Amino acid sequence: MKVLVRVLLLLGAVMSLSIAHAADNRLTLTGSSTVAPLMSEIAKRYEADHPGVRIDVQMGGSSRAINDVRMGMSDIGMVSRALKPAESDLTAYLVAIDGIGIILHKDNKVPSLSDQQIINIFTGEIKNWHEVGGKDQRITVVNKAEGRSTLELFLHHFALKNSQIKAHIIIGDNQQGIKTVAGNAGAIGYVSIGAAVYEEAHGTPIRLLPMADEPATVKAVASGHYPLSRELNLVVKAAPIGLAKDFITYAQSAAVIDLVEAQFFAAPL
Amino acid sequence: MADRLFAWSMSTCAFLVVLSLLWVLGDVVTEGLPHISWTFLFSAPENAGRAGGIAPILVSTFWILLIALVVALPIGLSVAVWLSEFAPVNSRFANNTGIVLDILAGVPSIVYGLFGNAFFSIYLGMGFSLLSGGLTLACMILPIFVRTCESGLRAVNNDWRRGALSLGMTKSAAIWHIILPGARPALVAGLILGLGRATAETAALLYTSGYVDRMPGSLLDSGRALSVHIYDLSMNVTGGDTAAYASALVLVILIMTLSILAQGMVDRWFKRRLVVS
Repeated sequence: MKVLVRVLLLLGAVMSLSIAHAADNRLTLTGSSTVAPLMSEIAKRYEADHPGVRIDVQMGGSSRAINDVRMGMSDIGMVSRALKPAESDLTAYLVAIDGIGIILHKDNKVPSLSDQQIINIFTGEIKNWHEVGGKDQRITVVNKAEGRSTLELFLHHFALKNSQIKAHIIIGDNQQGIKTVAGNAGAIGYVSIGAAVYEEAHGTPIRLLPMADEPATVKAVASGHYPLSRELNLVVKAAPIGLAKDFITYAQSAAVIDLVEAQFFAAPL
Repeated sequence: MADRLFAWSMSTCAFLVVLSLLWVLGDVVTEGLPHISWTFLFSAPENAGRAGGIAPILVSTFWILLIALVVALPIGLSVAVWLSEFAPVNSRFANNTGIVLDILAGVPSIVYGLFGNAFFSIYLGMGFSLLSGGLTLACMILPIFVRTCESGLRAVNNDWRRGALSLGMTKSAAIWHIILPGARPALVAGLILGLGRATAETAALLYTSGYVDRMPGSLLDSGRALSVHIYDLSMNVTGGDTAAYASALVLVILIMTLSILAQGMVDRWFKRRLVVS
């Protein structure tokens, strides 16, 4: 029994040591699954330039990032949208821009859709492609799952509520959305442009629709003209100091633009 | 005629099961095999996993599994022995324990993940760590392991218990030398089920052992498990499909190897003690 107590005490001491140790040269980032792979890569390059520093990147979604930063569970949150008015207690630092593109199956010849047509399709008022100039084929609406920031951005842009959308298929991530549309000739969905452009270039049978006469390209997103785009932000609670400040500056610098582009995002101009 | 039709439909079903398994395996092998090499197995991931390998991820996976098994096996076996050998017949506590275990065995793994995050990571202060992930998996595989072992122990013929008693063996000696070796097939089955479930787990690990793909330096470091890596590659990383298939192939091979090893180990431990069977 005594031995057990001693072992527990020792374990406790080791743990508190490692936590105290954490303060100086360790940084924890949590949040959006869209931003996580990018920040992982930036963190790796930062670690290589600054020996002894450890940056842990964890996934969990934008809402979780806000929560974690407020609770002090993480030093920096990753949020794939602009902050809401209710989140004014936090400060955001823009690291990249991601555009959302409307995707169809490659065999679907509909040249473009107006905002109103897209709204009518997603609310179930238009059920067949021939109503918008396509062939006689049922429309399969692919929507994002609750909590995804792509969904929030999509709803915000078209002034819709999630309860209005009559979805046939609910998906989680970009890749799942692309795979779903590629496998269903009558499907319409929306995903990150970078991901869609890459898959389209590599032969996946999908097609990106232009939005408001603006072609869905990474360049259009970076220029800020493309309407359906979102910010990828790092958020902190108080003004960052020391390592956190240095890392945020690094993530916004020109030293990581190649990493941003490798993840199919646009670096802010 | 009806009899033949019946037999024929049964064998068709069996064929379909085998075919679907072969289909899945064939898909993983044909897509993953060209990408597998020594450098893939022994180098760190680069460019969000599209290039490079999975060495740190394999190491993290092994640590998480080891922690889960070291914690779950002794506790699970003890509970199973208590339920089948010591608990009084019609004991309300034993019955309730059984019901609770059955419910726990059916709980989705994401619930274990959220529990592990709240209890191990936050309440006990382990943070995102291999330790927290391993302990969460231990909780997850415990019910299934206990139930399989228990039913195996109950299936051991009562004559063996009486025989041991009449030879003057103590109860603990009878359990150790007669009953546990007799329930060997069930123990193997429980171990393999638990092992398979733990190795393939994603949801329970996302919020406990985490997403960091660096080589872990201690058990309190966060480490990405193989299944989490596959999930990330196929869902969040555009162009990560080939690496995802290769990792999936490694995962399948890993589970098969571990199952064969587990079978061999349990056999060797218990065979020696049971001469007549």
